[in-house]
Amino acid sequence: MMRRSANVEPPTATDATTRAPDHPQEHGFERVVLPHLSAGFTLARYLTGNAQDAEDAVQDAIVRAMRYFHTLRGDDARPWFLTIVRRVCLTSYSVDYQARENSLSVDEPALQLIDSDETPDTALQRSLLRDRVREAVDQLPPPLREAIVLRELQGCAYSEIAMITDVPIGTVMSRLSRARERLAALLQGVVDMGDVA
Amino acid sequence: MSDETTGRPDLSTALRDALPTYEAPAALSAWATEQARRYDTESRGESARVPERKRARTFSVARWQMAAALLCAAALGWAGATLRTVTHGISASDQTASALVDTHIRSLLPGHLIDVQSSDRHTVKPWFAGRIDISPPVMDLASKGFPLIGGRLDYVQGHSAAAIVYGRRLHMINLFVWRSVPGEQAATSTVRDGYAILHWTTGDLSYWAVSDAAPAELDAFRAAYLEEASPPASR
Repeated sequence: MMRRSANVEPPTATDATTRAPDHPQEHGFERVVLPHLSAGFTLARYLTGNAQDAEDAVQDAIVRAMRYFHTLRGDDARPWFLTIVRRVCLTSYSVDYQARENSLSVDEPALQLIDSDETPDTALQRSLLRDRVREAVDQLPPPLREAIVLRELQGCAYSEIAMITDVPIGTVMSRLSRARERLAALLQGVVDMGDVA
Repeated sequence: MSDETTGRPDLSTALRDALPTYEAPAALSAWATEQARRYDTESRGESARVPERKRARTFSVARWQMAAALLCAAALGWAGATLRTVTHGISASDQTASALVDTHIRSLLPGHLIDVQSSDRHTVKPWFAGRIDISPPVMDLASKGFPLIGGRLDYVQGHSAAAIVYGRRLHMINLFVWRSVPGEQAATSTVRDGYAILHWTTGDLSYWAVSDAAPAELDAFRAAYLEEASPPASR
C-alpha cells in the first residue's frame, strides 16, 4: 500500500544558506505550532469535506511537522503548518484536487427562497443565505475553494497562499478571481457582487 | 459591511458569515499537546528520552494510512485514560484490566505499536525467540479478517509479555501473551473504558486480547486464533 510518497515532504521554509537568525525551535513545538491547530483543522475540514478525515489529516500533519520542525525558520509557523496539512490532505485523503476544476455547472437555479429585492433580515432568511453560500463554496473545485477559504476565512496574505498552495502569486490571484466569479454566478441576487465582477 | 442600497451583504461578508471556522476537536488538541510536550522534552536534551519506550525505527511512509487510524484511536484513548482517573476501588483483576488498557492505548501512540513489522508469521515468531522465554503461536489470520501486523515486547503488571498485533478493519487488537500463573481464571471477558478485554489460557500460556473493537469481534478473534493454533486432529 505504497502511497504517493514522493511529494509529501513539507516545505523547507528557508534555504539553509539564508538562514534567518530566528530559530523558532528554541520556543518549542508546543508554543510555535500548536496555536495553529484549529487553523489547520479548518483547512483540512474544507479540503476533505468531513471532520473525521480532517482530524486524521491534522494528526498526520502534526507528526510530519515534528519530523521537519528543525527546518522551520521565521517567526510565523502558520503558513508552514498549513502547507503540511494541505499536502497530507491531498496525498492521503483522496481530495479530488484536479478532477472538478472545470466541471462546475453554473446552471444552478438561482436561489428561490429569498426574493432578491428583499432584505435578508429574518433569522430564517439569514440561515438560508448561509446554507446557500456554503453550498456554493462546496461546489468550487478544490484549488479555488482552498484559495478562497485561506483568503477569506483565515485572512492569509496572497504570498502566504502562494506558499501554502505551492503556486505563483499570479495563479493565486487568478484563482481567487475565478472563485469569486463562480460564487457570483452561483449566488446571483443573494449577495452583492458590485466590487467583484 | 453590506451594500447600502440593496441591503445584501457583499461576498466577503457573506462568506465570513456563512462559513464556519472550526475549532480542533478536544481529543485532537489533547493528543497534539501531549505529543508536542513529549517532543519538546525529548528534543531539548538527548538524554531526556524515555528509556523503556523507543521511537519507531522503521515507521515508514507506506504506513501512514494505518498510522492515521492508530492516531485517531490514540486520541480517543487519551480521552478514555483521562476518564479513568476518577475510578476507585480497584481489585486485582481490575488492575490487570486497567494495565492492559493502558498498555494498549500506549501502544497506539506513534511508533509504539510494533518492534517487528511484518504480516509474515515466519518473521514475527522467530523475532520473539531470544527476546522472551515463551513462544506463542503466531499466525496470519488475514483470511479470517484479522491480518497480522507485527509484534512487540511489552511489560504489563510485572509480566514480560509478547504482544502480537492484529488488525480488524480500522481497529487494532493487541494480543498479550505471558506465562500463566497457577490458579489463574481460565477465561474472562470484560469491557473497560470502552475497550474489550478477552482472556483465555492454553497450556501454560495466558492470553489477553485488548481492542476497541466490539467484544463479539474479540470472541471471533479468539475462535480464529485457536482454530489456527491447534491442528484439527487434536480438537
